[in-house]
Amino acid sequence: MSHAFPSPEWTDAYKDAVNANAAYREAGKTWTHGAVAFVVEKDAALGLPDDCAMILDVHGGECRATRWVARSVAEAEAPFVIVGRYDRWKDVITGKDDPIKSMMQNKLRLVKGHLPTIIRYVESSRQLVKSASAVDSRWLA
Amino acid sequence: MAEVIELAPGASENGLATMLAELVSQNLADKPHKRADFAKLEGRVAIVAEDAGVALTLEFQRGRLIVHDGIVGIPDVTVRAPSDDVMAMSLVELTPRRALPDPRGETMRKVWEGMRSDRIRVHGALLHAPLMLRLTRVMSVH
Repeated sequence: MSHAFPSPEWTDAYKDAVNANAAYREAGKTWTHGAVAFVVEKDAALGLPDDCAMILDVHGGECRATRWVARSVAEAEAPFVIVGRYDRWKDVITGKDDPIKSMMQNKLRLVKGHLPTIIRYVESSRQLVKSASAVDSRWLA
Repeated sequence: MAEVIELAPGASENGLATMLAELVSQNLADKPHKRADFAKLEGRVAIVAEDAGVALTLEFQRGRLIVHDGIVGIPDVTVRAPSDDVMAMSLVELTPRRALPDPRGETMRKVWEGMRSDRIRVHGALLHAPLMLRLTRVMSVH
């Protein structure tokens, strides 16, 4: 069953997709630095009146939980926050763009978090985003 | 003296430029011993992530770093590489005692392999070996 991206249902399915990704399990097995949040910026034309976010409680190569929250909650609670427009997220989730390259191009931005840690776990970060491609997604545009 | 790390006008829209400015800033905060190298760094280093179509110039002025969007001025050293290798260069392992690039390190071996195969091209490194060595120490997260 497909889920609209972004939505609470999509966020729930994302947890299962992360845990089904063996490459993430391996790359993230020593990650103990806390939750990561992905923020989708508002786009009224797409029916997204406010910035929305998902928090991924990742630890030791496992996603223990996901939560669909407002951006302010994500920025307050998650040690790492990555922000991007809807179309940028769609491009990395569908595999059109690489998440690390997208950060270099300023399409996705780390707005909170210790960058050297992200760089040490660059493959883990990539696999975390790539896991989303396994979610049966329904796109708003 | 406190280090100064700043983005030149226009560089804030360059993701790699903002990342490298932040990386240097956090490396110096996390590992104060890197400050001695930063204080001696002088010269321009251009970095081009070819597959991402992104370029920047690091202008070091002995304790001050200005990060420019694109190639600005005449670089002393120019690094051209795929984005994965640009990122890997921040992961180069350093030897414990002298903080030299560790040839036994996994990332260092990948970087050497990239240079041998011409995937990573570094122009001016031999002429500016001290600059390259200090740059590697300051950029490495190790």
